[in-house]
Amino acid sequence: MAIMTIRDAILQTLHAEMERDPNIMLLGEDVVGGNGTAGGPEAIGGIWGTSGGLYAKFGPDRVIDTPISESAIVGAAAGAALAGKRPVAELMFADFVGVSLDQIWNQIAKFRYMFGGKTKCPAVIRLIYGAGMNTAAQHSQSVYAMLTAMPGLKVVLPATPADAKGLLTEALRGDDPVMFFEHKAMYGVKGEVPEGDHRQRFGEARMVREGGDVTIVACGRMVNFSEKAADKLAADGIGCDLIDLRTTSPLDEEAILDSVEATGRLVVVDESPPRCSLAADICALVATKGFTSLKAPPELITGPHSPIPFARELERAWVPSPQKIEAAVRRVLAR
Amino acid sequence: MAKLKPFTMPKWGIEMSEGTLAEWQVAENQPFAKGTVLTLIETDKITNEVEAEADGRFVRLIAEPGQTYPVGALLAVLSDGGEATAAEIDAVVASFKAVDAGFAPDGDEAPAPAAAVPVVEAAPAQIAIPDGMAISPVAREKALAAGLDVAALSGSGRGGRITAQDVDEALRPAAAPSLVGVLPPTPASPVFATPMARRIAAIHAVDLATVAGSGPRGRVRKADVLAAVPASAPAPVAQPVPAAPAPAVSAPVAPPPATPGSVDVLPMTSMRRTIARRLTEAKQQIPHFYVRRRVRADRLLALRAAVQGQRPSVNDYLIRACALALMEVPQVNIQVHGQDIHRFGSADIAVAVATERGLVTPIVQGADELSVAQISERMAGLAQRARSGKLKAEEFSGGSFSLSNLGGFGVEQFDAIINPPQGAILAVGTARPEPIDDDGAIRIVPVLHLSLSCDHRAIDGADGGRFMAALAHLIENPALL
Repeated sequence: MAIMTIRDAILQTLHAEMERDPNIMLLGEDVVGGNGTAGGPEAIGGIWGTSGGLYAKFGPDRVIDTPISESAIVGAAAGAALAGKRPVAELMFADFVGVSLDQIWNQIAKFRYMFGGKTKCPAVIRLIYGAGMNTAAQHSQSVYAMLTAMPGLKVVLPATPADAKGLLTEALRGDDPVMFFEHKAMYGVKGEVPEGDHRQRFGEARMVREGGDVTIVACGRMVNFSEKAADKLAADGIGCDLIDLRTTSPLDEEAILDSVEATGRLVVVDESPPRCSLAADICALVATKGFTSLKAPPELITGPHSPIPFARELERAWVPSPQKIEAAVRRVLAR
Repeated sequence: MAKLKPFTMPKWGIEMSEGTLAEWQVAENQPFAKGTVLTLIETDKITNEVEAEADGRFVRLIAEPGQTYPVGALLAVLSDGGEATAAEIDAVVASFKAVDAGFAPDGDEAPAPAAAVPVVEAAPAQIAIPDGMAISPVAREKALAAGLDVAALSGSGRGGRITAQDVDEALRPAAAPSLVGVLPPTPASPVFATPMARRIAAIHAVDLATVAGSGPRGRVRKADVLAAVPASAPAPVAQPVPAAPAPAVSAPVAPPPATPGSVDVLPMTSMRRTIARRLTEAKQQIPHFYVRRRVRADRLLALRAAVQGQRPSVNDYLIRACALALMEVPQVNIQVHGQDIHRFGSADIAVAVATERGLVTPIVQGADELSVAQISERMAGLAQRARSGKLKAEEFSGGSFSLSNLGGFGVEQFDAIINPPQGAILAVGTARPEPIDDDGAIRIVPVLHLSLSCDHRAIDGADGGRFMAALAHLIENPALL
């Protein structure tokens, strides 16, 4: 086990997998990190620091700077994947996935199905998402629920460095398109990462904390916030099952339902507006399949139905916080 | 009069929340020209130079090299060139207010005042609900029937509309829930199983590897494990907490309510949790056996007493003795990885060091190639860094053997838990005067009690015995060290 950041776990996994498989290629805006500058092609480094050294090692055929066009990036990835490559396309801000939605929704997600399984499209789209970094309404959103709703895509949200490695490796070894969400405020999160070959299956939730009173379901950065809340509650003798979904498609329904059957209380935390959100989806799952186990109405902790504000204080108020999660757990216990 | 302004930690990129001042490149009160490199600042991504934006001088350097400061923190006071009095500088420092330009990676928000809990008074028998009030028809009926004053309720519906659920909850007597509390973390397992299946397996000591999974792709589910629990065991169907503790798993007990003078509930630190998890796994999964031996330590202590100047500790001699014994008996100098045994060519000895935050085991690499004096020097540095939490990852990961010495506490003898993936650990007690057979005569000399814990998957009794014999010979003939 080595201690490293999520950023380094992703970078090292890209290095290791690109060494292993010559078909893997990286494309995106500024992934080379300095093309055209006086200091040379890698002088500045990609904005997220997740592609350092790749260009020097694998060259311009496998590490490709693209124009600022998400349609072009994802379209090229779709074509390359159909032609036998394993493209990793980086969307610097997940918010702009909308520009490439036809390529993802109607093409990448449908190829295998519409060609009767005679082709495959193993494209990995890395989407950098999330609020908390004062990047305003168009660069802060969490759009995983929208992509989770599209059959044919796998949707992955690592919350730890170990999972960043395990899930990215799994994405690059599989034959299906994967939407790989990286939270921009979590690149510096440190943790233990297993050495060597480490794969994490999709659809297998992680039990982060164990307790018999309330089930908290979260993904991405909300897992870290829920951990803080659960640890605070533990000091008062309140035990939480904290479930990190790891992937929202496929969804580990069984982990959620088993836990709610034991605790009878549910809090879902989701860094997005509430309507048609992942939180609403999980809540619907429990309401339809775990209704008789519930001792209290579930609590959904999400942002409000509004754009994410730029003002720092308002942005903080918008994002679900450990304090709000803690309060929600106490509310479901009081009912 | 000089114009003074604060010089603060810069912000490079939206992710930067803090930086470490590597060094000052100019001295206090040394005039510099625009473009001069003033300081080097490290972030977790890069080290960068900060250049002077204009001619000037630092009239006071505040930040210490090597220290880390948040973005926007005051690092120095800058003058446009002129000198300034201490009072003027103090005034700048006192009036400085950091701009919050970082981001909070932990998501904390300022504590908000607790919302007032609506108190439902004893309801009047007769109430009136205005026709225009936002309340659902069923809620209205229920409220009227119960005599509940809905004006005191805050509705959960759109625009504060009161729902039947709001009325039901207001009518329900407040009851404190009976808490189950925190459950012990379920040990990790490579078997593909649901979290609840893992938990129940741990509670009932069912080996998950022996359970056939009926879930998708062979995943082991709750029902599969329950079917494998022996009939005599209490079956926790929806309630995972057993009434009586099953073997090998301590009963999860809800902590008592915190009343003054009772029990302090201390949440485990992440380090404590790691220790707990690793040692639980080790003791549960490794078949330990113990080889014990007493050795006379009089000659070793005499040798140590004769050292001039910086005297190595007894433990330093023992590290050296272990290293040489491991070279003689390489069967013990191993790590166990699944089906493989990794045998080491050098003796990398992990030494248990107690710190305020818990047990740390820094490693003396290649102890067989080091003299006692070198080991002593290496150990002093490692122990100091361990106590200050500054060990590098490579200084405490790996290792082919562990040594734990509780002699300093007067402990006579104890058995230690193996630190996986290592194959063995030596537990050492205090050197205590005891009678020994010295060539037919009874003499009382300091004696050490040694206990070697071995992983029987990889080490046999004879190996352990040979190692202890080699070790005893070295300790009793310390000139060999």
